Amino acid sequence: MWLLIIFCLAVGLFIGYQLPILLPVAMVKYMSIGVLAALDSVFGGIRAYMEDSFDNTIFITGFFTNSLLAAGFAYLGDRLGLELYLAAVVVFGVRLFQNLGIIRRYLLKKY
Amino acid sequence: MRSTSGKISILAVCLVVGMLLSVQFRTSANYNIAIRSDRTEDLALKNTTLTKEKEALSKEVISLREKLTNVGSESQLTTDLQEELKKSNMVAGLIPVYGPGVIVTLNDSPRNIQPGDDPNALLVHDEDILKIVNEMRASGAEAIAVNNERITSMSEIRCAGTTILVNWNKIAPPFVIKATGDPQLLESGLSIRGGQLEILKSFGLQTQLERNNRIEIPAYNGALKFQFTTPAQSNKKAES
Repeated sequence: MWLLIIFCLAVGLFIGYQLPILLPVAMVKYMSIGVLAALDSVFGGIRAYMEDSFDNTIFITGFFTNSLLAAGFAYLGDRLGLELYLAAVVVFGVRLFQNLGIIRRYLLKKY
Repeated sequence: MRSTSGKISILAVCLVVGMLLSVQFRTSANYNIAIRSDRTEDLALKNTTLTKEKEALSKEVISLREKLTNVGSESQLTTDLQEELKKSNMVAGLIPVYGPGVIVTLNDSPRNIQPGDDPNALLVHDEDILKIVNEMRASGAEAIAVNNERITSMSEIRCAGTTILVNWNKIAPPFVIKATGDPQLLESGLSIRGGQLEILKSFGLQTQLERNNRIEIPAYNGALKFQFTTPAQSNKKAES
């Protein structure tokens, strides 16, 4: 499983590297927030998978809504002149570390 | 519920995240490089060379005009014409002039911008200079220069981004506006109640108005060209 995950990430990185797409500068900020949210979803999914409480629907919908919502938040903040994207960064950052910590504990328990 | 579909969706999402990440990396790397090193140095170099070129060319314009006047002075039959030419040149701003007048100095507000301040309120704008020049003209100014850019009948005063252009040259604060004319009249016209200088002062900008008995105003050093206009009747001149 772990090997597969890392392999998929590597393949994704490779495909992204080969894609002839460059984002417009204005979009870079929103995209980073979206990527952060997506990472959070992935770690959340892995954690749920290890806890045996994984739900495919929740995982997939969470992935899309979190990413889009975070990017939308950043955009809205820009329109309002408010650094709303900080909220997304803090929330997803904290959750990322929590999920990582839980995954680490599971792995330690397992091996 | 360690289902295969769960596994597949995690792997698929991993794939997408990887793609997003690398596109993002590539984009930010590209823009940083493009903006930081190559472009700025290149543009700075171009800027300096063009500025030097421009200085050389404006010197050439002045020397050529001097030569032109020398050619004119050799012929003695045309003293009348010389006189006329001189007057026209003064009106057109093609020769440097001097005389009594006033000097107005404008500068941005010394106050630092506080959060929530409108930075526009602390800066001197093209409109402010334009209004003061207008006021000077209304008070009988005969020759005007802004930061040693002679105001001619075709000069513009306008903002381009963060700078102000006069005669297509960028000028920067402090703005020194010189005008020759009746100093008394100019001073009272400029310091009129509710006038532009008073308004600027109330915004906290630094303004200064002083009389001077000898103000030197340089000649217009840009190119003169009439691309679309030709004189209709050259022998019928306006009364001057």
